[in-house]
Amino acid sequence: MFPASPPAPIKVPTLPPRSAPTQPPGLARRVSAVWYRHFLVYSKYFMANATPAVLEPILLMLAVGLGVGRYIDRQFNNGLDYPSFMAAGILGSTSLYTAAFEASYGTFIRYMYQKTYAGMIATPLTRRDIFLGELLWCGTKGALFSSMVGVVLCACGLVHSPWAVLIPLAGFVTACAFAGMSFVVTSFVSSINHFQYFFTAVLTPLTFFSGMMFPVQDLPQGLKYVAIALPMFHVNETFRLLVSGPQHLSVPWAWACPFVLCVLAVTLGIAGVLRMEGKLNA
Amino acid sequence: MAKAAQFKIRANPSLKSSRLVLDGQCNFKWNQRHSWSCDSIASNLLEGLPSDHFMKPQDDTLRGTDTASVAVSCTQVVKRFGALTALDGVSLTIPRGTCYALLGPNGAGKTTLARIISAISRPDAGHLEVLGLDPWHLQTEVKSRIGNVMQDEVFDEDLNVQRNLEIHGLFFGLSGTAFREKIRAMLAFVQLDGREKMPIQALSGGMRRRLMIARALLNDPDLLVLDEPTTGLDPQVRHSLWAALRTLRNHGITVLLTTHYIEEAAHLAQRVGILHKGKLIAEDTPEGLIGTHLPAHVCEFDLQEKLAALDHPLPGAVIEKHGDRGFLFLNAAEVLQRWVSEHGLRSAQVRHASLEDVFLKLTGRTLEE
Repeated sequence: MFPASPPAPIKVPTLPPRSAPTQPPGLARRVSAVWYRHFLVYSKYFMANATPAVLEPILLMLAVGLGVGRYIDRQFNNGLDYPSFMAAGILGSTSLYTAAFEASYGTFIRYMYQKTYAGMIATPLTRRDIFLGELLWCGTKGALFSSMVGVVLCACGLVHSPWAVLIPLAGFVTACAFAGMSFVVTSFVSSINHFQYFFTAVLTPLTFFSGMMFPVQDLPQGLKYVAIALPMFHVNETFRLLVSGPQHLSVPWAWACPFVLCVLAVTLGIAGVLRMEGKLNA
Repeated sequence: MAKAAQFKIRANPSLKSSRLVLDGQCNFKWNQRHSWSCDSIASNLLEGLPSDHFMKPQDDTLRGTDTASVAVSCTQVVKRFGALTALDGVSLTIPRGTCYALLGPNGAGKTTLARIISAISRPDAGHLEVLGLDPWHLQTEVKSRIGNVMQDEVFDEDLNVQRNLEIHGLFFGLSGTAFREKIRAMLAFVQLDGREKMPIQALSGGMRRRLMIARALLNDPDLLVLDEPTTGLDPQVRHSLWAALRTLRNHGITVLLTTHYIEEAAHLAQRVGILHKGKLIAEDTPEGLIGTHLPAHVCEFDLQEKLAALDHPLPGAVIEKHGDRGFLFLNAAEVLQRWVSEHGLRSAQVRHASLEDVFLKLTGRTLEE
């Protein structure tokens, strides 16, 4: 059907006046802008997004730590009951999975489907800014969710040391390390389905056999050293230092684990950012 | 603020091409923060050329713009993706305040060149200057002065219009009350006033494209790069976008437009470059391109109607056969008309040769993908 009245003529728009010129944003402003973008988008559906990240470790703690733990009489690591032993691993895995999901599935979706980076790269942001901002965002999520789980563990009476106030910091560093590792994986992945290998074959054994469910000393002799060499052992010992105190560490030298973890976070973080920079091809 | 580049050059007025060589020193300052001096850079500066060198004569709006300064200058730019050479030595110059259209079939390298000029992609070889700066090594500085409308509409679908524009501003270091006012004004410019709170998902294709343009203008760019801005839009939206682009051009904003709509290039651009298989095969004003490559008029007819008509062609006419269509190019329209009536061709149509004819002549009428 033709319209009853003749169509309106095309309006000639007037361009608003130019603003005073500004300096291009510096590194800190660019990286924090990326961080803020992720914060805004994420917080839009905060409850839906945060529920699995916080609820799953708490359910695991309730079912295995408190549930199965009732049948375990043994003392762990110089006098810890089973739930208190497991608390450190729960915090570590919370931070790990938060960061790993964000920097694998999240990053890949932004890269491949939402084209978020394609939009960002047309602004003054460099490729490095984009992934530094994203790394910091993963760290922030790790800090936030490990703290939330930490509060619940504290309420359950599983936190025995005042150093627990540093849980957000440990959560941040852990998340940065695993976000960096996940970036490296993401940079090689061509289909989103390939992440299944990473989660099932790499991260799950890493969490289960690195001193979360049982002490690494109970592993067969060879595997014990493998477990100690893996990053998750250092994460768990760092959290154990904060939640239970230095007298409950698995090995006497485990006070060095936070430092190892920091080195890992920096190394893996840099490697991940560099790999993703290359993936977002120029 | 000394934003514009100041060059001292010795121009050779007898030079026919637009390429001049810098003689001695070239200094420029930008925002007082950066300053360089460089010796003997080959650069596509236009000083010394007649002021109408790149201008459409009928376009009054450009009077008073600084034709001496150059927004974009590429020299022998090469870009490879593995074995594929996307750009094979492209040289072009876009004077400030003009609109340059890059025409080409799909896969010709238009987007690649637009990305390189927008400091998004790195050229493998060649010299490039955008707004007086090296776009790849000073990408933050260059990109903060460019507005970019890409083929992909990239928005944060979960956020509303206002939030999307605010985040975009943050990437440019822009925020605050004045910037929010700017958002309001730019939305009005693309006729999306009052849609601030609308979710992105609720916008139509045309609205999204207009929003892309509003977003690209938030940083008051000196150069606006539009990569196929009207593909897939209905005629109303296309014309309102063209009106907006003409306004921008008339405000002295340099516009680089890639398109495969020839009509769009003829409508908006003072200068058109035809890119084919990574090479710039022709470059001129739209009228100049037609004048150089084809006679003024064309008779287009159905070959099946009377193939024999071509056995007695007109002297001096250029004949082209493509599929079931015949094209007879000649300067004199009345001669063509007479030829049509002599042969009784009912399907024939005599018209002005268009940019499309030039485009098809140069890039071929068959599909090459």
